[in-house]
Amino acid sequence: MIDATDAAPRPLIDTTARRRPIGLLLVAVPVFLVAWLVIWPIISAILRTVWRPDANGTVGFNLSSYVFFFSDRYSLDNLSVTLWTTITCAALLLLICLPISLYLRFSKGRLPDYVQAMAIFPMFVPSIILSYAFIRVLGPNGMVDILLNSVGLPKIRTPYLTPWGPVIGLVWDNIPLTVLILLSGLGNVANQAIEAARDVGANKLQVLWHIILPRISNSVLVALSFAVLGIFSAFTLPYLLGPASPEMMGPFMQRTFREVNDPLNAITQAVITFGFCIVFGLFYVRSVAHNQGK
Amino acid sequence: MTTLAQPRLRIDWLGIAFAILLSAAIILPLLVVATWAFTEVWRYPNVIPQQFGLRFWGATLNRSDVWSALTLSLQLSTVVTLLSAAICLPAAYAFARLSFPGRSILFFSFLAGHAFPKFGLLIAIAAIFLQLNLIGTFWGVVLIQLVGTLLFMIWIPVAAFQGVDRRMEEAARDVGASPLRVFWSITLPQAGPTIAAAVLLSFVGTFYETEGAWLIGAPGIRTMPVLMISFINNQMVVQYGAVLSLILWVPSFIALMFARRVIGGGAFARGFGG
Repeated sequence: MIDATDAAPRPLIDTTARRRPIGLLLVAVPVFLVAWLVIWPIISAILRTVWRPDANGTVGFNLSSYVFFFSDRYSLDNLSVTLWTTITCAALLLLICLPISLYLRFSKGRLPDYVQAMAIFPMFVPSIILSYAFIRVLGPNGMVDILLNSVGLPKIRTPYLTPWGPVIGLVWDNIPLTVLILLSGLGNVANQAIEAARDVGANKLQVLWHIILPRISNSVLVALSFAVLGIFSAFTLPYLLGPASPEMMGPFMQRTFREVNDPLNAITQAVITFGFCIVFGLFYVRSVAHNQGK
Repeated sequence: MTTLAQPRLRIDWLGIAFAILLSAAIILPLLVVATWAFTEVWRYPNVIPQQFGLRFWGATLNRSDVWSALTLSLQLSTVVTLLSAAICLPAAYAFARLSFPGRSILFFSFLAGHAFPKFGLLIAIAAIFLQLNLIGTFWGVVLIQLVGTLLFMIWIPVAAFQGVDRRMEEAARDVGASPLRVFWSITLPQAGPTIAAAVLLSFVGTFYETEGAWLIGAPGIRTMPVLMISFINNQMVVQYGAVLSLILWVPSFIALMFARRVIGGGAFARGFGG
């Protein structure tokens, strides 16, 4: 990280001593906002859930809201459906995006350009419009049912309002970034390395396994971290497309906070999602910081 | 890499398969929405609507909730984007050009908002807003959306300022131009397009921001996406949602394509850690 910024262009006319306060002054407001509305809420959320009054009113170390979460059947069901959705989405994303990125990396022409444009397109579709389109296509009597019916096939069992609804929506939504991140990783795989391996008789699978995958493993992890961070606490798609019970953590937290009007348990749930995602978050920050330095 | 030996003879079956599958999965749903927007009667199981027409465009545009949500969304996005530009662009200039203590750690601190699950963070912020009585207010939503724009509005302009040719600036200084004049005539024209794209991105992004507006704003603040949620939940007339999707999405799509062209795909991926 330190290397990263040392490499960045420095002012040529070094008037450091004079400009120091000005630089800090110029960045003060955004930095204050991050401290107040990102860092502080997280610290405060943790403090408020572990250091609070117990039944007798004495303030102290108190984990009862966590004990409640991990002993409550409904909360645990929500947590497990969230974990299931996240793992399923991550696996599907890799299965879909890795072949697409490999194809795009090793082809040139108008067809690959079209494939790339298609793969990146969902980035420009807000998830609210995606949800609406999903219902019109895969919902009951949707476009898929219409098309199946017209060729004499039975209707599908609609994924709308089942755990598969959010999975399909979230995968759709996350394809562009996953493809872009994998593609940027594949850009670092030198053609010579592949040609050398092929010269000594490696087949395509061996090239993929021994040459390409080890070189893009970091990008794969970044893509997965990004997907996990986005999916684990997704709100709009699970709220609109998923079942009412069990629900994913996003809608669950929203309902606890707004409808049940129980901020304490909502914050507890939020801290638990932080806990599940902390590894991915740290890895993501490390990779971005590392990449900015290149 | 295999096409060098036998150019134009092999048919790219894999590419054709990807193209067809992706088109079906990505274009078809949007086409269905577009078709619904111009449909008056479409009963199951007809493949093509029985009656096309523009009746529901009038009906949607006559709803007062649509207009108030649209006005509110435009106000919110404008206020957030202007505030964001006012505080982030000077900061970006400082990060790109000035040296001050803690520069790198502060620069990377903007990643913090993206290192946590977003909705969990929103809940933690909402708990603080609850004590400050900011829930359900315009400024509460402004604050939460402002935080969402910080990373883009600082990192993209930093790259833009760093990309400006320093020799031209110094040449201008040498012939006696004032620092302000140099900034106005040399720096800004070169960094301008990228900065404009970042501003556009943050405007469109704020316009579609759903989760913060829904969590912090409800029930007083009904933005366009929040209105769409209630249309979907209440199973209102199908066409309302379709017309709204079309009206709202097409202009923003064009804007985003423009922004993407200016900033470039590589920058996007790098910004996300690729």
